[in-house]
Amino acid sequence: MSSFFDKFENIDRRWIYLLSWIFVLFPLIFPLGLPVPINKESQAWFKAINDIPNGSVIVFSPMFGTSGMPELFPMTLATMHQLWSKNVKIIVVSFWAEGPLVFQQLLNQMNPTAAPYNKVYGVDWIDLGYIPGSEPAMRAFGEDMKKAVAKDYKENKNLSEFPIMQNINKASDVSLVISIETGTPGLTEWLRQWQEPFRTPIIVGCIGVSAPGMAPFLQSGQLGALLPGLTSSAEYELLLNRKGLAIAGVDAVSMSHVLVVILVVLGNVGYFVNRGKKK
Amino acid sequence: MELMALLGVYSAVFFTLAIYTILYRENPWYRFAESVFLGLAVGYQVALDMKYVRDQWAGQWSSSSIMMVGYVLAILISLLWYFRFTKQYFYLYRWPLAIIVGTGIGAALRTVIFAQFTTQIIAQAKLNLWVPTDLMKTFNNIMLFIMVPCVVLYFWFTGSYRDSGPMKIIDKVARYTMMAGFGAGFGYTILTRYSMFIGRAQYLLGITPNPPEAVPAFIIFALIMLATMIGYDLMQRNKKPST
Amino acid sequence: MSNILRRIEIPIFLTIVATLLQVIPYYVDIPIINDTANTVNLWVLLVVAWATFIGPLSLMQVHGKTVQKRSKGWYFSVVVLVFTVVMSIAGLPIAEIGLGTKNAVYTWLFTYGQTPLSGTMYGIIAFFITSAAYRSFRAKNIEATIVLVAGLAMVMYNAPIFTATWPGFRTIGQWIYDIPNMATNRAVTIGAALGAIALAVRTLMGIERGYLRGGSD
Repeated sequence: MSSFFDKFENIDRRWIYLLSWIFVLFPLIFPLGLPVPINKESQAWFKAINDIPNGSVIVFSPMFGTSGMPELFPMTLATMHQLWSKNVKIIVVSFWAEGPLVFQQLLNQMNPTAAPYNKVYGVDWIDLGYIPGSEPAMRAFGEDMKKAVAKDYKENKNLSEFPIMQNINKASDVSLVISIETGTPGLTEWLRQWQEPFRTPIIVGCIGVSAPGMAPFLQSGQLGALLPGLTSSAEYELLLNRKGLAIAGVDAVSMSHVLVVILVVLGNVGYFVNRGKKK
Repeated sequence: MELMALLGVYSAVFFTLAIYTILYRENPWYRFAESVFLGLAVGYQVALDMKYVRDQWAGQWSSSSIMMVGYVLAILISLLWYFRFTKQYFYLYRWPLAIIVGTGIGAALRTVIFAQFTTQIIAQAKLNLWVPTDLMKTFNNIMLFIMVPCVVLYFWFTGSYRDSGPMKIIDKVARYTMMAGFGAGFGYTILTRYSMFIGRAQYLLGITPNPPEAVPAFIIFALIMLATMIGYDLMQRNKKPST
Repeated sequence: MSNILRRIEIPIFLTIVATLLQVIPYYVDIPIINDTANTVNLWVLLVVAWATFIGPLSLMQVHGKTVQKRSKGWYFSVVVLVFTVVMSIAGLPIAEIGLGTKNAVYTWLFTYGQTPLSGTMYGIIAFFITSAAYRSFRAKNIEATIVLVAGLAMVMYNAPIFTATWPGFRTIGQWIYDIPNMATNRAVTIGAALGAIALAVRTLMGIERGYLRGGSD
């Protein structure tokens, strides 16, 4: 009996790795259809975007690279779907080098010019690409967009050729910043360079690891809404009635988390039994 | 699917599985994939930075002779970055670095006191310690009212009062608060890391919108890599002289 | 002359001027300083962008030496060098000869190389963190128990299977996020802000010189 509990405390790490593979692959191959309750973060995100008045100017900033894509790409797709379904002007700009490349992958899956969006590039939305320099770049863009960026990313034309940029040049012309981010530059830089000087509202979608650090800004009201991680993305997809990769993966999230709980509990059971034996 | 795209899918699956082979042990599949990753990760940003520089010339920097001089000056100062690779003139590398560091510090310094300090203090001070219609909210606000100053004081390392009785209680409250906070961080870290693994697993299984051609690639490369690693280990074990 | 140029006071002076050019216009409205600061800020972005070759050149220096000396694993260094050079050159913004971010080689390498490798490299930590949590999360004392309980509560909060089974998991997890986690991070935010101000003041006074270290002098 004691050696049975010894095993609980000392499972070889490769068995743990194998169990992780099984607990993730099984629900992906055989979807379990586990229920996904909708919670307040995803409802607040949905409402924040839904409540944007018609004609508003939105800065959408994909501030993540390929490493963050599994967790952030689903929420990026869903958010752009909701934005392009509205009558708002969208400026896509990134202060993260891979941002434009990741957004290009989004455009491979969603065509804003086609139905149901029917958006015109340069009139309804524009992609300004990447601006190097991190926080000083965010400051420069907020002070004078046309000086910070000379040409758009998609067609490589001067910004003056696009109707969308006629009356937009500073952060004060922007109604909302939507930042999908994994780290630095991120929310604190947006707060320092856009919200504090220009009072621009900000909402952030982030990876789970960043979520705890956002809590003080959410409580103080500096952050309008927060969408943290894949689970919230799945809830958001359900709210939009647009199932995507997040919903497809949420069963695997559940099962992998069940595995972690089981392993930690087993480890502690083994520890306490062995500790009792030693005493 | 066209040939280059099919080759791409097979390459993506190969690279994914090659990295995962490290879970078994260090091996040449992993080393190769790691080397490719290093090369690509360092090389891709050159494109985006240089595009920005080239586009900027088309903008304001070619609008007047003074701006053109400024642009050329930026290039000349930027050349100093590359004296980093010399021993004799290394000190020149510090000049553009100093400008960048100063700019970054200045950009943050202008508003950090408001964005991250006073706003947080105000939010803390605005906590309503008695909400008659919501006892849970009252309890939560009181907890925050106690916890935040305790954690702030925990990191105050100077002063003789550090060893006093009240400070020991404050330290204990702060430690318990931080432990709960770190636990929260752990929970979200699990979510993020498994989400990344799930994303790659969805690709390997060809789950829409990922290409279904990834599935046969997954099976083929998984078998090859497992066979080579396990086969090699068995061969090594058989080679060992028996005692 | 080179002794004068070597003096540490030059980069310190540059740092101070760059910092003040950012800070002063925010608090004092003098048009000429505002315009100068804005132009310098845009100019600095160019200087930052031009530093992009440092990464590839450093890599080529290190791995080039490995290949030259035929050190252990030198063939992997060849792989590193080949992919660094190909990716860097394919992406250069010379659309006239078909190079740039829309170049087929660059796009292919990014989509089928960088994307899966990057996602997998960061995702592999899931296995290590599971193994580490299993081995190290033990309720040995009160503090460890608090970390353990809070950690498991958040794990269950993030998994719909638990919150759908019993909504109490959502309530508990939300409380941990909103109260002790928020308290910890608020204190950290305040401390970080004070630290950033202290660092900036030290840099302005020329006391903080850590970023200038390196080289033989």
